[in-house]
Amino acid sequence: MNNGIRNPIVKFAFYAILILWGLSVLYPLLWTLLDALKNNDQFFRHLPWALPEAPLLWSNFSYVWNKYNFDSYFLNSIIITVGSTLLGLLLAATTAYVLARYKFRGSGALYLLYIASMMVPFILALIPLFFLMNSFHLINTKIGLILVYTSSVLAFGIFVLVGFFKSLPKELEEASIMDGASYFGTFFRVMLPLSQPGLITVAIVNVLNIWNEYIVGTILVNDPTQYTLPVEIGVMQAEMQYRTEWGPLFAALFFTIVPVLLVYIVFQRKIASGITAGAVK
Amino acid sequence: MDGRVRPVVLREFYRKGGRVMEAGSAKWQRNLFIASFIIPTFVFFCVFTIYPVAKGLYYSMFDWSGMSQTKDFIGFGNFKEMFRDPIVWRAIGNDYFLVVGKIVGIMVLATFFAVALTRFNFKMAGFFRSIFFIPNVISVVVIGVLWNFIYNPQIGFLNAFLSLFTDEKVSITWLGFTNHTIWMLLPPAIWAGIGFYMILLIAAIQNIPASYYEAADLEGAGQWTQFRRITVPLIWEQMKVSILNIMMTTLNGSFVIVWIMTEGGPDNSTQVMGSYLYQMAFRQYHFGFGAAIGVLILVLSLITTVVLQRLLRHETVELS
Amino acid sequence: MMNKKKYAAMGAAVLLASMSLAGCGSNGNNAPNDTASTNNATNNAGNNAATTNDSTNANAGSTNAGATTDTPKLTGDFEVQYFVGGYGDKWWTKVIADFQAANPDLHVKALGGPKINEQNKPRWIGGNPPDFVYIDGPELNDRQMVEDGQLEDLTDWIKDAKNVDGDKILDMLAQQPQQFDGKIYNIPLVLNSWGIFWNKALFKEKGWQEPQDFQQFLDVSDKIKAAGTTPFIHTGKYPYYINGAFLYPAIVSANNGDYKVLQDMAANKVEAFESEAVKTALGKIVTLRDKGFIDKASIQINHTDSQMLFLQNKDAFIPNGLWLPNEMSKDIPQGFDFGFIPSITQDAGQKIVANTSTATVAIAKNAKNKDAAHAFLQFVFSKAQASQWAELSGAPSNIKGDISASNAPSFVKDAAKYLTDPNTIVIPTITFNADVDKAMQDATDALTIGKIDPAGWVKRVTDVVKKVAK
Repeated sequence: MNNGIRNPIVKFAFYAILILWGLSVLYPLLWTLLDALKNNDQFFRHLPWALPEAPLLWSNFSYVWNKYNFDSYFLNSIIITVGSTLLGLLLAATTAYVLARYKFRGSGALYLLYIASMMVPFILALIPLFFLMNSFHLINTKIGLILVYTSSVLAFGIFVLVGFFKSLPKELEEASIMDGASYFGTFFRVMLPLSQPGLITVAIVNVLNIWNEYIVGTILVNDPTQYTLPVEIGVMQAEMQYRTEWGPLFAALFFTIVPVLLVYIVFQRKIASGITAGAVK
Repeated sequence: MDGRVRPVVLREFYRKGGRVMEAGSAKWQRNLFIASFIIPTFVFFCVFTIYPVAKGLYYSMFDWSGMSQTKDFIGFGNFKEMFRDPIVWRAIGNDYFLVVGKIVGIMVLATFFAVALTRFNFKMAGFFRSIFFIPNVISVVVIGVLWNFIYNPQIGFLNAFLSLFTDEKVSITWLGFTNHTIWMLLPPAIWAGIGFYMILLIAAIQNIPASYYEAADLEGAGQWTQFRRITVPLIWEQMKVSILNIMMTTLNGSFVIVWIMTEGGPDNSTQVMGSYLYQMAFRQYHFGFGAAIGVLILVLSLITTVVLQRLLRHETVELS
Repeated sequence: MMNKKKYAAMGAAVLLASMSLAGCGSNGNNAPNDTASTNNATNNAGNNAATTNDSTNANAGSTNAGATTDTPKLTGDFEVQYFVGGYGDKWWTKVIADFQAANPDLHVKALGGPKINEQNKPRWIGGNPPDFVYIDGPELNDRQMVEDGQLEDLTDWIKDAKNVDGDKILDMLAQQPQQFDGKIYNIPLVLNSWGIFWNKALFKEKGWQEPQDFQQFLDVSDKIKAAGTTPFIHTGKYPYYINGAFLYPAIVSANNGDYKVLQDMAANKVEAFESEAVKTALGKIVTLRDKGFIDKASIQINHTDSQMLFLQNKDAFIPNGLWLPNEMSKDIPQGFDFGFIPSITQDAGQKIVANTSTATVAIAKNAKNKDAAHAFLQFVFSKAQASQWAELSGAPSNIKGDISASNAPSFVKDAAKYLTDPNTIVIPTITFNADVDKAMQDATDALTIGKIDPAGWVKRVTDVVKKVAK
């Protein structure tokens, strides 16, 4: 219905800003790809925006892929990311819903506890965490990482989803309860679907955080067969510093960026079409 | 569980008299529902987050290198020392500089993009929306490498670009000023942060019933008025969440980008609390002192949250 | 990240020839090839494991021949932790395989990698460390490990310990172990030297004189600057480069060649930091700064960037370590010819000062298999393993040897000339307290950009020293 900006100058200015920003975010991606095709010499001899010289060093990609077990890192990362994202969503959404809708003794304090936990620098927990996981015999296991990652994303999920549930109109669930649905039924059949945009937002952020996490992973996993992608990248980057193999490093970085990007694009569509304004009221 | 809860239910029953049979069981159901949604999450959280974090913070009372098997209890010794350390104060200043800078920068741009891409019927809005999120997808390592490269005084992007407009080659050391080097860390932080908050706000805007805008249109209200009267009040909750989240993630998370780009240098001019924590705990072997900085981060975050919430609540009243 | 550089692959595969190293003599002509093969190796590192094993088997027989006859049989588990940096891990996989072959009843477990120091840290805290540790890379500092009581006291054992060939270990070392309160905990395995590099070819082409003392250095820098090249670049992001290669030798020179002052500094004696020698040395940095010799880019760049700029002839001098040529070997332009001097801050007629740096090995105090750990020390400090180290990691080991390799690149000859010259003052490796070290690095950075003066440097650092000494 609304016909956007009417003033052509303003419209042009807005477009210009969008396009400039678009370039600023696309360029690094291109840059990563282009630099993966260069050798060191080109990095330092040419202007930063120079194209790689022929022959393009596609070999950097195969070198990295062959030298490291990327397929197994991918698999580990996918299992761990999916596992902890789903578990994290379930645990966060249930608590968030109750905190947003029901008052009970200590509910305020509980909410504050979750929020406060986001303010503690997690690296402090690393060493105690190692001993904890060690006593559970969960070092070097996917389950161990899933449990820790799930826990580490709970607070954020609760934080966002409480806000989201609060913004949903109460009438819907009241109607649902009136119709005789149980609390559980109302939550799973009515509220959860309605909060889809919020869930997706949280899921995306969690997927990204978990997919890119490497500090905890480095400490809890030191068996190369159990490495996740970022742990391997961290190890690789540490190695490359002593060899200045920038091209291969960028190739490896590119490998890790692409899948997340694809996943994001798929989810992005879902957000766009997922919820129409009319569904809420 | 059964055994425990029963008496409560019975007591309810007797207290409220006969009519309550039904209400009591409703209440019981409600409590059961609450418990089953709260307790598993909470137990999980206690074991894997609260316990290790609390234990880590507990070390702030010890003189411990982080490697040794002996830890000396020194009470608040680390805290006393911390407040005498000028670098801690500089780190606090830098942190709040980043908090303010990021809140302003990210919120202005993210709101602008969110509105522009939902309300203005721009062509390719979906495309822009997709690509604007890209910095959030890229690992911080790449972002650090990239921006270091942009700022490189000799072969960097920025100086090469500026040199196009000058006769002499520009050779500014963007990350090596005697003071205020922290300013240079703001652009990468804003650049990397916007996408997520934009998405959050877009989701909120899409939740606003179209009829509101239609009505405003009929009344002849312009975009700016619609933005102020409809959009902002209705996405205020999400904006508040965003601002608080930026503050929190900055205070305890900005160290990643700092560490990758400058390691707090040169001469501690870009040190933030998180990077100094890392430096002290893992590079200079004062884990106890590092933990004390962790406590400081927690306390400052809590105070700032309370203050911000006050401020923002106030704002809501004014706007709506 | 701190000491990144030390681990960088070193070009000095041959300096070893001079300073150290027997094996080199035996397979004579290998120096340049060594360097090359180290680098190429990265291209087929994927099948490393396989090849290593092959060569292991070939050698194992010869190594264990005279080795294990008089020692009791070693059994049980034996864990070796080694950081993998610029030297790579070929030597470690090899030596561990050799040791395993020599002791078939022992179960040797290798824990290596570029992140191993972080990954194994909880085990050290938990009192369950690996038996044997190679102290190198970030997050490991020998002084700190000693203070934390993590390392086995080797003082008595090393006094007359012999290696597998029956040679006394202490007699074989080019550099003696560092003492902490008179005790020995770790033994240097790798030896290196800091110094100043330049491009001989460029100097020849431009007619610049290669400097031998500080005055000549200033004179030629004036010319270089006038010719439009920046005279001096350093790694400002990691100021321990300029400290190690410029400041510390300068302090020793200003102290009439007596390095006791540095040892006093390492022992946190405040007077040492306030001595005239320190002020004079800091004054030399100020001179560089005020004459505009220091590349402004230095302050914010890391080692790779500064080395690249140096290799592109954008800057004439760089303070660095002997590993530089090998680390950057892929990126050295045609015709580039390294010149090297361990120190540039001495007055005319004064001795040259070489500040060395080592990477050491030690036994964990809580080691479960100390017999195996001692045996491994005896195994490692043998001529055979030393020459293998040179071959496989392209770096000088700390074991003395005859000096015969001769087709070395010219900078190595320069380095060798200096380091074996009795007129050179060789500073044994000194580890500072981590807090003091950091304070000195920060202060030096601040000094190079004019934020503080030498008095400010001394004040800042002594404040930290006083706190640490308490």
